[in-house]
Amino acid sequence: MNRKKGDKGFESPRPYKLTHQVVCINNINFQRKSVVGYVELTIFPTVANLNRIKLNSKQCRIYRVRVNDLEAAFIYNDPTLEVCHHESKQNLNYFSNAYAAAVSAVDPDAGNGELCIKVPSELWKHVDELKVLKVHINFSLDQPKGGLHFVVPNMEGSMAERGAHVFSCGYQNSTRFWFPCVDSYSELCTWKLEYTVDAAMVAVSNGDLVETVYTHDMRKKTFHYMLTIPTAASNISLAIGPFEILVDPYMHEVTHFCLPQLLPLLKHTTSYLHEVFEFYEEILTCRYPYSCFKTVFIDEAYVEVAAYASMSIFSTNLLHSAMIIDETPLTRRCLAQALAQQFFGCFISRMSWSDEWVLKGISGYIYGLWMKKTFGVNEYRHWIKQELDQIVAYELKTGGVLLHPIFGGGKEKDNPASHLHFSIKHPHTLSWEYYTMFQCKAHLVMRLIENRISMEFMLQVFNKLLSLASTASSQKFQSHMWSQMLVSTSGFLKSISNVSGKDIQPLIKQWVDQSGVVKFYGSFAFNRKRNVLELEIKQDYTSPGTQKYVGPLKVTVQELDGSFNHTLQIEENSLKHDIPCHSKSRRNKKKKIPLMNGEEVDMDLSAMDADSPLLWIRIDPDMSVLRKVEFEQSDFMWQYQLRYERDVVAQEEAILALEKFPTPASRLALTDILEQEQCFYRVRMLACFCLAKIANSMVSTWTGPPAMKSLFTRMFCCKTCPNIVKTNNFMNFQSYFLQKTMPVAMALLRDVHNLCPKEVLMFILDLIKYNDNRKNKFSDNYYRAELIDALANSVTPAVSVNNEVRTLDNLNPDVRLILEEITRFLNMEKLLPSYRHTITVSCLKAIRVLQKNGHVPSDPALFKSYAEYGHFVDVRIAALEAVVDYTKVDRSYEELQWLLTMVQNDPVPYIRHKILDMLTKNPPFTKNMESPLCNEALVDQLWKLMNSGTSHDWRLRCGAVDLYFTLFGLSRPSCLPLPELGLVLNLKEKKAVLNPTIIPESVANNQEPVNSTNNHGQSVGFQNTFSNSQEEEEIDMDTVHDSQAFIYHHLNMLERPSTPGKEQSSGEMNMHPVLAAPLSVFTKESNSSKHSDHHHHHHHEHKKKKKKHKHKHKHKHKHDNKEKEKDPFAFSNSPASARSIRSPSLSD
Amino acid sequence: GSKHATTPADNYYLARRRTLQVVVSSLLTEAGFESAEKAAVETLTEMLQSYISEIGRSAKSYCEHTARTQPTLSDIVVTLVEMGFNVETLPAYAKRSQRMVITAPPVTNQPVTPKALTAGQNKPHPSHIPGHFPEFPDPHTYIKTPTYREPVSDYQVLREKAASQRRDVERALTRFMAKTGETQSLFKDDVSTFPLIAARPFTVPYLTALLPSELEMQQMEETDSSEQDDQTDTENLPLHMSTDDSGPEKENASVLQQNSSLSGSRNGEENVIDNPYLRPVKKPKIRRKK
Repeated sequence: MNRKKGDKGFESPRPYKLTHQVVCINNINFQRKSVVGYVELTIFPTVANLNRIKLNSKQCRIYRVRVNDLEAAFIYNDPTLEVCHHESKQNLNYFSNAYAAAVSAVDPDAGNGELCIKVPSELWKHVDELKVLKVHINFSLDQPKGGLHFVVPNMEGSMAERGAHVFSCGYQNSTRFWFPCVDSYSELCTWKLEYTVDAAMVAVSNGDLVETVYTHDMRKKTFHYMLTIPTAASNISLAIGPFEILVDPYMHEVTHFCLPQLLPLLKHTTSYLHEVFEFYEEILTCRYPYSCFKTVFIDEAYVEVAAYASMSIFSTNLLHSAMIIDETPLTRRCLAQALAQQFFGCFISRMSWSDEWVLKGISGYIYGLWMKKTFGVNEYRHWIKQELDQIVAYELKTGGVLLHPIFGGGKEKDNPASHLHFSIKHPHTLSWEYYTMFQCKAHLVMRLIENRISMEFMLQVFNKLLSLASTASSQKFQSHMWSQMLVSTSGFLKSISNVSGKDIQPLIKQWVDQSGVVKFYGSFAFNRKRNVLELEIKQDYTSPGTQKYVGPLKVTVQELDGSFNHTLQIEENSLKHDIPCHSKSRRNKKKKIPLMNGEEVDMDLSAMDADSPLLWIRIDPDMSVLRKVEFEQSDFMWQYQLRYERDVVAQEEAILALEKFPTPASRLALTDILEQEQCFYRVRMLACFCLAKIANSMVSTWTGPPAMKSLFTRMFCCKTCPNIVKTNNFMNFQSYFLQKTMPVAMALLRDVHNLCPKEVLMFILDLIKYNDNRKNKFSDNYYRAELIDALANSVTPAVSVNNEVRTLDNLNPDVRLILEEITRFLNMEKLLPSYRHTITVSCLKAIRVLQKNGHVPSDPALFKSYAEYGHFVDVRIAALEAVVDYTKVDRSYEELQWLLTMVQNDPVPYIRHKILDMLTKNPPFTKNMESPLCNEALVDQLWKLMNSGTSHDWRLRCGAVDLYFTLFGLSRPSCLPLPELGLVLNLKEKKAVLNPTIIPESVANNQEPVNSTNNHGQSVGFQNTFSNSQEEEEIDMDTVHDSQAFIYHHLNMLERPSTPGKEQSSGEMNMHPVLAAPLSVFTKESNSSKHSDHHHHHHHEHKKKKKKHKHKHKHKHKHDNKEKEKDPFAFSNSPASARSIRSPSLSD
Repeated sequence: GSKHATTPADNYYLARRRTLQVVVSSLLTEAGFESAEKAAVETLTEMLQSYISEIGRSAKSYCEHTARTQPTLSDIVVTLVEMGFNVETLPAYAKRSQRMVITAPPVTNQPVTPKALTAGQNKPHPSHIPGHFPEFPDPHTYIKTPTYREPVSDYQVLREKAASQRRDVERALTRFMAKTGETQSLFKDDVSTFPLIAARPFTVPYLTALLPSELEMQQMEETDSSEQDDQTDTENLPLHMSTDDSGPEKENASVLQQNSSLSGSRNGEENVIDNPYLRPVKKPKIRRKK
């Protein structure tokens, strides 16, 4: 939260401290997918008169709660189950606010929870003495939809024989889905975990396995785990299954688990892990904090990598044999990521959600260091550039990613993320894509900090954080010390300033406290007379997602006499910068030219401008600003940059720039790079695609064989018979990647008729024909898959005469050849499946391309069969992608329905998430588009999906919100029928206004018209109670209120006055006893009136919520009185007037 | 006889038949007939031929019955007795005075029946095989003939052949699979030109997707020891993946050495890995509080 206040240390938002928790699961039934168990929390009240304890619990059935062995009353209410209770108001803006409110209402970091336990009155005295409470909760879970995922293959045999397993999963703090707890990253405690499972199964969980004991009937065994390092509930995890066990041969305290039959793959895959351990321990000069580490590889994973205290859960699809090249680096990266998060994320936890960026940043940053060491500087810089491009593109698209959101006390007006369609106040309301980008930005910003204070200091800071935490963690009985294990933004920054003595405040302000990236436009002129480079750097800081940059900017100028760095000071109004040049233009032709790295090379300088000594110029070469640079320099400069600059990022930039210069010189530069074996392989791969583009632009003047063909022949074909490719030998990985990529790029070549040249197609077909992997040590499945991709790339739209129906008879002969290959490949996959079915994936994609280009009748049936549950996940995703595309192109309502049904019913959470993701990225229509698909039923369906259908999975719900936003926008979907009263009178301004709920978004976003209708509401609302507009406003209050009402209710259900200790921190924590929760959403003035309004109007509608109403009755007058005193506007008590207060949904 | 050209075999049989006719005629003459109708002579000849044939057949049976291949006199005698012929009268009859001597039939070679597919000389029996055993079959049925044609060494032709062979096998196999099972098609009007084997879900999809196929396993074993390792490129690989086993193992070895040198006492433990998951499961205690 507020950084200055944070300096005092951690102030728990909860009125108690949890010190120890027991989780005991005595029965797990795979057949019924149910879990039975209990938890016991040891709690020390931190305030006297603690009369209720709020815990988190979702979808659990709670049977019994005892506090110190006394039966305790409890209430279980989860407002996130159904966010809005009224269905006619289908406006996303409104939903997002209601959803954020609902999440807040149960947010443990706001002291809330779904489960509210009343401390038995017998214990009040005990509590007042701040003595320990033991809360014992019996619970069960039946067919959990989230949090715990059961995989039970449908076949004969016992559960162990079938490979049935279960594991915990979720996005951010999701532990509440499988046992009652304080589901916060800031509440640390020690753990005792017990799982009784079938004797053939293994239960893997956090901490040390103390012992395994048979049950009395000897048919089951109980795994006893102890976790003595204080850990947040959110970092607790579980995996149970008939796992094969592999003790790491290098580190015996590390154990790996995989599903039956995969042990050989597990051995190979994990054989590398110890090196990652060594690396991190060395750079952090700190031992791995836990006494053991476990990796579990499971099927149907929620995410590829999930890190928990002392264990990580991976997707089984990361396992691979020694024959697989492409997966190896990817899997190793996943392992390294998981391990980095063990230190920062699991061992060191965060104080609040707004500190998340520190953890993600540090773990991402040290993972980057590992990348640099393992894959080399080139790969590292390439990765940084890639991440930078991604975050820049995302921020420019959506309007910004804010790392450290600060939420002032109740001031909703300065919502830091008003450009987004979701709240960034909670992790659970975040779009998945935003969260991914958030992590990406976090580690990039860490790198910026490193640039500023040096890596050495950076690592010292990390070491400091870790040693503080490990000291604290060893204080077994001083639980107040444990907050040292929580990192906060302020603590982190303080450490940095202590260690480095440097002020990084401007940097933090720019990149952490503010969202947006920088967009530079650069151009230059050389002034010969003054021998000066006149550089002009403009910024665009008005577009969404951009910000203004002020500060130093490094520019590197390569001149004839060498490379020179200049640091420019970017200021408000200075666009032009004069940079003196060091060399007189071309004095000595014979002289070698020194490069940045000290190397001296011969260059052919004939291409350059005779008057200028400039070879090339680079702006911000070290990527020390989160920026996009569009720089103008002549083609020969880009060519020199490509050929001679040694930085791979510069080379890649040059390649991209050369696309705009289709000249023989560019062609030559690219071909030379392609052939240079010292050149980084990714640069060479990129050059392939650029060369294809250039060749297409130069098609009329192109001479010689198609681009890359002779090169490929020289590199990969037999010397004696150049039309036949050598038998595969992938020992040299760079060559391998190049060999894979070149055909794919070549297939993009087009002749003057815009067709793929026959020669190229035949060439690719020959590659397929002569492909021979018999003598290869490695599998060629990725290579073959890319050859199919190449075939697909060669496809051009069919020439259709009079829209004839696509049949075999009019099939283009080239396409026939392609189809023949695809058919054979796809069929062979059934007999000899390839690793991860890469070939099937490519075939499906290629078939969709053929359909889309009109060669084959467009038909989703094939894809739908491959998308069924039971196919390998990659295949399903590829098939679903094709169906999504079909839905868009053919505007098929049926397929859209089929997809949405799958979103609701598919057993695999990842698939459900992915469908929504793909639909969002390739939507069947968008908000400003007319489409036959856009109808009321679809709105209802999607609304239901996000409102209540996805309550078991945060990620899925946010995915549904993203899709809804893409399809319908923020305001009321245009396809909904107009409300009965489309026009409302504004008496105050004396004019008619279009009902705000139906006006297009562009207007709705503007606050003015909204205000005016509100005014209208104040004056005439009562009479118009039944007008649509009014009704919707009314519902607004009502439903938002519902989530809030819960808190009211609990705050007041107890006879005792509420915890007063809170009031001191109320400004920050919103824990004012009466107004507490609404404060976070409503302004003070509005809430009480709304409250009473709600009560009056919906009494009859909400009979089942009698309790709440009772309480509201009780407090109504109190509020009203208060309000009358405070509120200068002093609305009448009529319900209509209350309605006039702007709903939170409109206030942003 | 016939007017047409006759085969040597026909001639042979005709000559024998004519001799029999002469015999019958002379016997008739001896019996006092002066003339006979041709049909009668034919019939008698037929009867005589049958009688003699029967003697031969029967004699062969007797001889084979006693495990011989050549009939002896006693075989003939037994036959004649069996056929109701008084053997004792035979010498007297043979020496009767009025008997007529007829010329022997012309010597014509037994017609050689053309053997089917004779190639080369049949091998004589080795010494340890008695002569009455059947002869060896024709050599071509058991002898392999080495060919001395130059093997195709042209690389291009070889690759071409290997490729088309594999392609043919694959196509035939997949077509067969497609014909015998369910298929999917890309064209509604045609299901046979590009038959796709229908997609069938697996109960455990990750197994087929992750585990190398047997073919690949075999390949891996084959190539593991092969020359490929020697070819390791001398160029530096910026991609430090070292997927090949030799790389990391070397590094690992050094790591292991380091470890062992660091903790000498650990060597002893190395045999017994102490890992909680490997420990035996305990028996339940009688009084475990639950």
